[in-house]
Amino acid sequence: MKDLLREVDAVPVTIVTAIAYGTLAVVTQPFGDPREFGQLLERFGWLTPHDVIAGEPWRLLTHAYLHGGAVHLLFNLATLFAFGPALERSLGSVRFLLLYVVSALGGALAVCCTYEPNQPVVGGSGALFGMMGAAMAMNMRSGRHVLACLDFDGPRRLLGAIAANLVLGFFFPMISNTAHVGGLLAGFLLTFLWLRPGDATLALQRWRLASLALLAGATFSSFVPATRIDWLAMQFEATDDPQRREALLRAVYRTGKVVPVAEPQPRGR
Amino acid sequence: MTAAPPSLRAVGRHLPIATVLLVAVWPFALWLLSRSDPELAVRFESAVYHALRTLAFWLLAAVGVACIVFPPAWAGLRLFWSRLWRSLSNDQAPLRRAISELRHFESAARHAEVGRLARLRQRDDLARPHLERAVELDPTHAGSWYQLGLLQFHAGQSAVAAESFRRVEELDPGHAFGDALLLRGRALHALGDPEALALLVQHQRQHGGSPRSHVWLADAHLRAGDRDAANAALQLAAAPPRLRLTAEENWFRAWARVRCLGSRRTP
Repeated sequence: MKDLLREVDAVPVTIVTAIAYGTLAVVTQPFGDPREFGQLLERFGWLTPHDVIAGEPWRLLTHAYLHGGAVHLLFNLATLFAFGPALERSLGSVRFLLLYVVSALGGALAVCCTYEPNQPVVGGSGALFGMMGAAMAMNMRSGRHVLACLDFDGPRRLLGAIAANLVLGFFFPMISNTAHVGGLLAGFLLTFLWLRPGDATLALQRWRLASLALLAGATFSSFVPATRIDWLAMQFEATDDPQRREALLRAVYRTGKVVPVAEPQPRGR
Repeated sequence: MTAAPPSLRAVGRHLPIATVLLVAVWPFALWLLSRSDPELAVRFESAVYHALRTLAFWLLAAVGVACIVFPPAWAGLRLFWSRLWRSLSNDQAPLRRAISELRHFESAARHAEVGRLARLRQRDDLARPHLERAVELDPTHAGSWYQLGLLQFHAGQSAVAAESFRRVEELDPGHAFGDALLLRGRALHALGDPEALALLVQHQRQHGGSPRSHVWLADAHLRAGDRDAANAALQLAAAPPRLRLTAEENWFRAWARVRCLGSRRTP
């Protein structure tokens, strides 16, 4: 196992990720009919919260390698090359890969917990925000105390960049700020709590446990969204018990996302 | 300043982690509820979200209004922020270094230093044995008695704190710019000892006053039944400061302003 990890550590994950971005961008290009773009993205793994509960959990990760156009791809490539190489040198390739995957998952779980069931999401920006969170965490834990890094220009600019990107995401409706925040949080917590040298203090162990509990809760909520309309509808389809079906139907209406279709009224003269 | 009761502080310390765990448990709780009654789960979720939103809105509004009309509200926010900032921006390295130095050579001064730094990091559990060992090794070290007294005072152990501060005053009168004398007076006040008033007056005479000492003196005067002297002390505490006060002193001044207002209305 150690040999395998050593071999993986020699792989430049940033370059491989960039190649994956580029390859998938080419593969999902609708060279003929532009209306095929959505279908291609769906086929190659865009993320919708409903797909996850419908038995396609791999979309939690695949969406982080797909992009919704050339501008989206270029922005994310630029960010990947701005943060990736330095972080990969600091953490090592295996840990950097772990960071990318966990941040992408963090963004995806945040989307699954809060979005409408059929809202699709693509892009690696959740993972890229995770890298920014990781860079901030490394700055915070390398100083004499957690706020010492704010005395320096680099961390201050990084915080500014994070804030600017979040504000930008707030103003553009096609940008998924939820995924950004989820990825940022996941990358920060992973690096600040887990990817650190030395023995863990009692407080650190407690926070690690809390972060695991949070991950478990978010994962459970993504796979079993007990109060979301599509999950309730799926339960309704799956059960034969009339009482249970009635209860589920009431719950579906109670979500407020569906309105009972009114009986057609006879038109008056 | 009278410290918050230890139980309250412990709750405050565990609140963030408890909140995270509560958020983590939420989906499981909803699912369990949904198994018995799916409609109830949906209603419960929307009711909780609605209640949280309403609570957040009214809390913000109440805090905003309170900050404008009730001086301790703003002073309390400043105090909270100051303590949070201090706890986040406190250097760990000196404490680690002091502990590692102690392994090579034990002395009262080194134990006292560990105790002092641990108190700065709000690690009272770590500080206590070191400070107790420091006064055991060298009972003539005023600094150790002072730090031990502070620790006992903030833990609500007024009797032992008063004794520690008495030792400080014996060994080094005017230690920490008279703080030991002031704290001894306050500790005795908490014990209901009439000597407290004399000590607080002596502190005022020897070291001048601050909003904190004025407020404590007012409390002692009130207990002695001297309302006029208490009001005069409160007026002094509430007076506009010439320099910017620390967050702690500002907290006392804010309360003194409120109490002054109350004392004016009282016939």
